[in-house]
Amino acid sequence: MSSTAIQELVNQPYKHGFVTDIESDTAAKGLNEDTIRFISAKKNEPEWLLEFRLKAYRHWLTMTPPAWSNVKYPEIDFQNISYYSAPKSKKKLASMDEVDPELLKTFEKLGVPMNERAALAGVAVDVIFDSVSVATTYKQKLADVGIIFCSISEAVREHPELVRKYMGSVIPVGDNFYAALNSAVFTDGSFCYIPKGVKCPMELSTYFRINTQDSGQFERTLIVAEDGAQVSYLEGCTAPKFDTNQLHAAVVELVAMDNADIKYSTVQNWYAGDEKGVGGIYNFVTKRGLCKGVNSRISWTQVETGSAITWKYPSCVLRGDNSVGEFYSVALTNHYQQADTGTKMIHIGKNTRSTIVSKGISAGHSNNSYRGLVRIAPTATGARNYSQCDSMLIGDQCGANTFPYIEVRNPSGKVEHEATTSKIGEDQLFYFQSRGIGAEEAVSMIINGFCKDVFQQLPMEFAVEATKLLGLKLEGSVG
Amino acid sequence: MSAAVMHPFVEALVAGGRTLPASTASWLNTRRAAALERANALSAPTPRDEEWRFTDLAPLNRLRVVPAAAGASVDVAPFTVSEAGVRLTFVDGVYVPALSSPGALAAGVTVGTLAETLKTKPALIEPHLALHAGFDQQLFTALNTAWLRDGAVVHLAKNAAPNVPLHLLYIATQKDSASCPRSLIVAESGAQGTVIEDYVASGDVADTAYFTNAVTEIVIAPNARLHHVRLQRESAQAVHIASCAVSLAKDASYVSQSIAFGARLSRYNLDVTHQGEGAEAVIDGLALISGQQCADTHTTMDHVRPNGRCTQLHKTIVGGSAHAVFNGKVLVRKDAQLTNSAQQSRNLLLSPNARVDTKPQLEIFADDVKCAHGATVGQLDADQLFYLKSRGIADTQARNLLTFAFGAEIVHRIPVKSLVARLERAVMTQTQAG
Repeated sequence: MSSTAIQELVNQPYKHGFVTDIESDTAAKGLNEDTIRFISAKKNEPEWLLEFRLKAYRHWLTMTPPAWSNVKYPEIDFQNISYYSAPKSKKKLASMDEVDPELLKTFEKLGVPMNERAALAGVAVDVIFDSVSVATTYKQKLADVGIIFCSISEAVREHPELVRKYMGSVIPVGDNFYAALNSAVFTDGSFCYIPKGVKCPMELSTYFRINTQDSGQFERTLIVAEDGAQVSYLEGCTAPKFDTNQLHAAVVELVAMDNADIKYSTVQNWYAGDEKGVGGIYNFVTKRGLCKGVNSRISWTQVETGSAITWKYPSCVLRGDNSVGEFYSVALTNHYQQADTGTKMIHIGKNTRSTIVSKGISAGHSNNSYRGLVRIAPTATGARNYSQCDSMLIGDQCGANTFPYIEVRNPSGKVEHEATTSKIGEDQLFYFQSRGIGAEEAVSMIINGFCKDVFQQLPMEFAVEATKLLGLKLEGSVG
Repeated sequence: MSAAVMHPFVEALVAGGRTLPASTASWLNTRRAAALERANALSAPTPRDEEWRFTDLAPLNRLRVVPAAAGASVDVAPFTVSEAGVRLTFVDGVYVPALSSPGALAAGVTVGTLAETLKTKPALIEPHLALHAGFDQQLFTALNTAWLRDGAVVHLAKNAAPNVPLHLLYIATQKDSASCPRSLIVAESGAQGTVIEDYVASGDVADTAYFTNAVTEIVIAPNARLHHVRLQRESAQAVHIASCAVSLAKDASYVSQSIAFGARLSRYNLDVTHQGEGAEAVIDGLALISGQQCADTHTTMDHVRPNGRCTQLHKTIVGGSAHAVFNGKVLVRKDAQLTNSAQQSRNLLLSPNARVDTKPQLEIFADDVKCAHGATVGQLDADQLFYLKSRGIADTQARNLLTFAFGAEIVHRIPVKSLVARLERAVMTQTQAG
C-alpha cells in the first residue's frame, strides 16, 4: 500500500487558490524605457532612481536568460507582461478600518487575521498586496527604537540617502538577467534599517501576494543592520490559482556591518501549477547578503514548497573577518514542479565560517536540484565550511540532483561536504504502524524528522506554519 | 562556438589523421573517418564549457606539436614490473617488439597489438573498438580515434584467468610530439585479470613539452572481473589527456586505481557504465602534484540497471602552486533501483598557493537507492601532528609521515607488490620534496 499511499498523501490540491476582485491600476503590457518612466513617474521617484532603473534596463537588454540551471520552461515573452499593477488608492488610510474589506477578506481566507494575529503574535506585518503597501502596523513601536521599517517606495521618499547608499551595493544592477530586470522595473518591497546597537524588539514580517493575472511581481527588499544591530525578518508567500504562468523576479539585499546579525526566514508556498504541470509561478529570485563588518552574521532559512519553478540561491559574501554565513533549506517539489536552489558562500575575510544544511524532497514528476558554491578566497585564512545536502525521493518518476562546487584557494581553509539520498523505507513505515501510528501520520513524522535541522532554525511562528504546510501537502486519504 | 579557431595541436593531428594509410578493415576506416570528421568540426574546450570549467588548456593550446614518428630505442628497465606475465611496450604510440616481452600466457588470453589482432582475430575487436568511448562531443577522443592505427589489445576468453598482471607500457621520448595511445581490454564472461596501464617518459623529453592523448576502452562481460591499475608518470612539462570508458555487464566487477604524479597538465576522464544488473565498481584515485602542475580527474558513474554498487575514493595531495580538480558525477537512472553508490573526494593542501576545485555531483532518478558523497578540503590534522611531535618526531618528518599515510591508502590497494613498493618510494620522495 505504502508507495501509492505516499503518492496520495503528497498530491494535495492547492488550498490558497482564489482571485480577489479588486480594481487594479495596471500598466499596459510590454517593456521599454517608457514603461520604466511610467513606473517611476507613478511612484513620484527622484531622478537618481530613474537613472538606476534605466541603467539596469540598458544592461538587461544586453543579457540573455541563464541557461545553465537544471530547469526547463518555455521562453518567456517579456513584452507580454504588465510591469505595474497597484490597487487603486482612494486616499491615505488612517487606520485598518479604512482598508478595502475585499482585501481584508483575502487575508482572512489565507488565515492571516492581521489585526488580531499581529497583536497576538507581536508581529509587525507590512502587508504587500500586489505591489503597493497598504497597511503597516507596529510602525510606531519600531520608530521608538529608531528602526525604519517601511515600503521601499516610502523609504525612497523619506530616507533617500540610505536607499541610494545601499541599493545595488550587494547585488549590482547587472548581476544577472533577472536581477537586472528587477532593478529596472521593481515596483515595491520592504526596507528595513536597524541603527547602531539596536536589537529589533520583534520579528519583522511581510506577506507577499500576487493578485492581478499576468502581472509579474518584482519585489525589492533591502535590509541594513548597522554595527551591533540585530534583526529577524520573516517572509511568507502564497498566491491565488492561475493558469498562465506568472513571473516573479525578486531581489533581496542584506547588509550586515560590524557585529550585526541578520536572520532572514522564508516560507514560500506559491501556486505550483496543477498536477499536469499547467500554470504556476516562475520564481526567479536573487538573494544575497553581505557580511561587510567583522563578526557579522547572516542566516538564511527557507522552506520552499510552492512555485512551478524555483530558481534561487540565497548567498552570503563573508567579507568581514570572523563573519558567519548560514543557509538552512527545505525544498519540497511535487507533480511537475522544478526547483534548482542552493546557496553560495564566498569566504573573503579571515576566520569566516559557513554552514549549509539543505533538505530536498521530490515527489511526482518533479525535479529537485541542490546547486551550491563554497569558495575560499586566497585571503580567507582559517575559513571553515560545513555542508550537508540530503535528498529524499518519493516515487520513481522524480529526480534529485546535487551540484556542489567547492573551490579552495587557501590551504588553511577547511571544507567538508556531505550528501545522501534516501527514501521512506517500508521498514520505517512498518515500525511506525506496528506501534499504532497510521501511515499518513508516519510519513508526516518521517518527513518532519528529515527536515528537523532546518525547522529548528525557523522562528517559532514560522516553525509551526512550516510544519503545518508540509503536513498540508501530505495529509489526505490513506488506503 | 565557431570552428574558426583551431589550435595547433588539433590542426597537426587532424592533418596527420588525413594522411594515415587506410586499414585493411573497412569498418575501422569508417569509424576513423567519422571521428576525423568530428575532430575537424569540434572546437577545443575552454573554461566556459562546464566540463572544463576549472582546467585551463592554455599550456596545450600554445603547444606546437607534430604527430610522433616511430620511436627510438629506450631503456625500459626502470619501468618493468617483475610480476607482470607479459609486457607490451609502445614508444610514442608505436609498438616496439624489441622492448616488449610476450611471456607465456594461460589459455584463452590474448595480448597483442591492434594491427596484429586485426589480421589474426578481427572478430575479437570489431564489436568493441571505438564503440564505447564516445567521440561525438569529445574532441580528444575524436582525435585519438581518427589516429587509430595501432594500440594494445587484451582479450580474456570465457573463464580465462591469467594469474599474473598484464603490463601495457607507453613511453614518450620525443619532444614537441603528439601521440595517441589506444588500448582495448575485453574480459569475456567469467574471466578475470589484472591490467597495468603505465604512461612514462624517457630520454630527452624530461624537461620539454609533448602531448599524450590516450583512450582506453574496457568491456567486462557477465560475471567477469577486471582489476585496472593506471599510472600516469609523464615528464614535468607534458600534457596528458586521457579517457577511459568502462562498460560492465550483469554481475561484472571493475576495480581501478589510477595514480597521477606527472605532467604539467593532466586530465583523466573515467566513465563507468553499469549496463547490466548487479554490477560492481570500485574506483580509487590519487593525484600527487606540486610546482605548477594541474591534475584534473573527471569520473562519471552511470547506473543504468538495478542492484548496482559503486564505491569511490579520490584523493589529491597538492603542494607548490599546483591545482587539483575533481569532478565526480554519479548518475542513477530510472530503472536503476536498489543502487548503492558512494563517493568520497579528499583533498590535502600543503602550501599557501595550492588550489583545489572539487565538485561531487549526484543525479538521481530512481527512488529506492542509497547514494552518498562527501568532499573535504583541508590541511594536515593539527592533533595528529601534535601527537607525533609529542613522541619526539620532528615537525618535517611528522608532516611527511602523515602526508605519506594519506596517499598510501590508495597505493596499498594496488595488488602488485613491486609496484606498491615503487609507488611508495615515489610518494615519499615527492612529499619530502614538496
